[in-house]
Amino acid sequence: MSDKLKQIINKQGQQQDNDSLSHSDDVVQLVGFIIGEEEYAIPILAIQEIIKPFPWTRVPQVPKYVVGVFNMRGAVIPLIDLRLKFGLPALKQGDETRFIVMRHGDDIAGFVIDRLTMAIRIKKTDIGPAPDTINGDDTMIDGVGKQEDRIITILKVDKLLERDF
Amino acid sequence: MDEFQEILQDFLIESFELVEKLDEDLVELENSPEDLELLNGIFRVAHTVKGASSFLNFDVLTHLTHHMEDVLNKARHGELIITPDIMDVILESIDLMKALLTTIRDTSADGGIDVAACVVKLDKISGGDGEVNTPVAAAAAPVEDVTPVVEETEDDLDYDNMSPDDLEAEIERLLQERQTEDKAKREAKIAAGESVVSLEPDEPVAELEPEPTPEPVVTTPVPVTPTPPPVVKTQAPKEDAKAAAPAKKAATVEQTIRVDVKRLDHLMNLIGELVLAKNRLIKINDDVEERYEGEEFLEELNQVVSIVSLVTTDLQIAVMKTRMLPIGKVFNKFPRMIRDLTRELNKKMELKISGEETELDKSIVEEVGDPLVHIIRNSCDHGIEIPEVRAAAGKDETGTIKLKAYNEGNQIVIQIDDDGKGLDAEMLKAKSVEKGLITLSEADAMSDKEAFSLIFKPGFSTAATVTNVSGRGVGMDVVKTNIEKVNGIIDIESEVGVGTSMKLKIPLTLAIIQALLVGVQEEHYAIPLASVLETVRISKDEIYTVEGRSVMRLREEVLSLVHIGDIFEVERILDSNEHAYVVVLGLGTSKLGLIVDTLVGQEEIVIKSLGDYLKGIEGVAGATIRGDGGVTLIVDVIALMDIAKNVKSTVMVESTSNAQLTLEKSKASDYCIMIVDDSKTDRTIMRKALEPLGITLVEAADGQEALNILKAGDYNFDAMLVDIEMPRMDGYTLATEIKKYNRYKNLPLIAVTSRTGKSDRMRGVESGMVEYITKPYSADYLSSVVQRNVNFKAEFL
Repeated sequence: MSDKLKQIINKQGQQQDNDSLSHSDDVVQLVGFIIGEEEYAIPILAIQEIIKPFPWTRVPQVPKYVVGVFNMRGAVIPLIDLRLKFGLPALKQGDETRFIVMRHGDDIAGFVIDRLTMAIRIKKTDIGPAPDTINGDDTMIDGVGKQEDRIITILKVDKLLERDF
Repeated sequence: MDEFQEILQDFLIESFELVEKLDEDLVELENSPEDLELLNGIFRVAHTVKGASSFLNFDVLTHLTHHMEDVLNKARHGELIITPDIMDVILESIDLMKALLTTIRDTSADGGIDVAACVVKLDKISGGDGEVNTPVAAAAAPVEDVTPVVEETEDDLDYDNMSPDDLEAEIERLLQERQTEDKAKREAKIAAGESVVSLEPDEPVAELEPEPTPEPVVTTPVPVTPTPPPVVKTQAPKEDAKAAAPAKKAATVEQTIRVDVKRLDHLMNLIGELVLAKNRLIKINDDVEERYEGEEFLEELNQVVSIVSLVTTDLQIAVMKTRMLPIGKVFNKFPRMIRDLTRELNKKMELKISGEETELDKSIVEEVGDPLVHIIRNSCDHGIEIPEVRAAAGKDETGTIKLKAYNEGNQIVIQIDDDGKGLDAEMLKAKSVEKGLITLSEADAMSDKEAFSLIFKPGFSTAATVTNVSGRGVGMDVVKTNIEKVNGIIDIESEVGVGTSMKLKIPLTLAIIQALLVGVQEEHYAIPLASVLETVRISKDEIYTVEGRSVMRLREEVLSLVHIGDIFEVERILDSNEHAYVVVLGLGTSKLGLIVDTLVGQEEIVIKSLGDYLKGIEGVAGATIRGDGGVTLIVDVIALMDIAKNVKSTVMVESTSNAQLTLEKSKASDYCIMIVDDSKTDRTIMRKALEPLGITLVEAADGQEALNILKAGDYNFDAMLVDIEMPRMDGYTLATEIKKYNRYKNLPLIAVTSRTGKSDRMRGVESGMVEYITKPYSADYLSSVVQRNVNFKAEFL
């Protein structure tokens, strides 16, 4: 390997170290979105992309909240309506409706949400555990983030992507 | 440790390949015990395995192969004649060898299998006469040959201190050294002439050894050695065995590279993407053609599109071919099987194989092995009679089983014929009734062909006693399941006393298939064309209901029917037509008619998995991406046939549940009317005329927009005012479209137009308009017509 290359690689390594320092471990980055009345959030790193709604194909013999499959650049991906999944009545998709494509390991799926709010940086210390009333491994809630004026429910991506039918 | 694993992998791959060839060679050897070349080949296999296993410290395997080698060596030198009894022992030892290899593959150790008994037998045959040393010396050769490499790594301890670059160079140097060495040896051998190969076998054998063993020791890619056993075999295996020795001197060996199957799969996936893109391009080309008819650039575009599509197709075929394996790989094990069965069953049988060079996709080759074993065992056990019976019936005492493979269109056909006693339809029926598999009335209604397919039912067996070979009623069930798994069809023909012929028709590949696209309501589904026998257009009166199930008469047969909408829970929004299309599906020996609304066409589709989240949906085999970018589900014909048995017929049921959602009107604004007109002025005039009633008004600027509003279902319309002359979609078309929906069948449509001709009025009535108002009109008149049509309650006025 040439010296130049080594230098570059070393530089990159150093840079990465610096980056992780500035980001520091105790801040998590989340993306917030609204379903019904509530604001939810998932870790930004679990998101593959956020897209505007487009046509999908219905799939038979699945629960109502699995609305179908859609084509994302050649891959066939399931589409799950979080409103229905959370037991809320169906709503017509509007201008603010988005599909959030989430990935966890090899599992991937698109989720219909009512609208996006913002990217959130939140300190780990500001995240409390899920309320006692919902506990155990079954809960989809990872924790509750507190910001000045609001409370955000942080969801577990692996639970969302888990097939439960 | 990694290095060891790598060597082990190579050893296993090579050994399994060699052993596969061995069975066939051995059976042939029994027929011509003097064939020296064959003997040499077999000896070499035992020797190669022994050499490598001793290097890898598999003592049990070495022990066994060592004794095999002894016996074979004797035979080779003419000191021993191979009798069937000796052959039995040799075959037994080869079975043990296979078992050991499998154990090694699974556990990386060769324990757990007792070879002692077999070794004793082998030893007895070779008769312990001191010659045992010869092979030992030969075995030492590979080890010796390997040592230099090992030593080099050992004594060059300062390698650790070398920079990677230097190490690389050193490896390169050592490699080159080896190559020149090998080359020199090879040349020396060529100089000695090919006689060396047959007369002084020990030498060339020792020569052969070093290639496979040291190869993996060096972890950098090794330039292709002259005779690596090809993964993708292009020659018939028999030639392969013979060619192995002389190939050393000839440069005419077909160049082959071992390629990881994963890479080929990836390549296939990429081609899949390309095919989808091609489909899309063709569709776009069609659209463009329509819009810009007669423009000059069209021709150029056409040319490009057709070249792309042509090349894509060629590319697809080429890649598919790399995944193809000759079916001979599967056929190879049958001569041995027949031989064993001949002795076991005391019958005389002969196997004739043809078409073993016919190629099939690797994944399919793996699937057809088991079914063939079962079919052939079945033919041997139940088909072929014992010699006395055959003689009495005036047949040749030796029964013949023919195994044939050939291409037929997009399919490959594997045909298994025997000249045994044939299938007796009546007897099959009786047996099935006895075992409770079918009812007496079902049996009576069965044709001979249907009766033949009874043998595939789980639990069915005609054998009076369960033998080692068959009679458990499991085998043929496996055949059906496996063949259906690869979308194959089984066809049986048989004549009592003459024989049975079974045809397995299997598609060439699994990843890209031809499909028939069908429509139901607004959805599309793809049905693998391999399972489609025909399509027929029928009228509703041709569907009969028998015991709650829909059936139709198709020529001489009664075909049970199921509506695709019932299987896939399709909502019946659109009114169904007087006519329907029936797609006749055939799988194995069963048939089913699938009722669909429309036939869209035939298309080449790429099968994509629905992923983990949606796996296991009954009736859906996967999905494909269409030319327009949409996703279409692929019908799983096997599952569909199962589901169909339990689906209640709704074919005849007209959606009577037309739960007219005419909610009770409690105020004037509960009434809702849509105004469809392209002129803003006209819409305003209508609005002004109707506003005083206090009813809800919705406007649309053309037919398309109106239809979209209706589909969205946000409003519950009581009537529509429709202009006739409109862009995009005119009033007549709109009316026809609306009337297709069950929900809007009774929606009053009022034409508001300046067209006054009689023919216009006629067309209006035909398309389902109830009233015809000509412009200009008075506001009162319009209001009264609307009130009449929506049953406007007077108290709201």
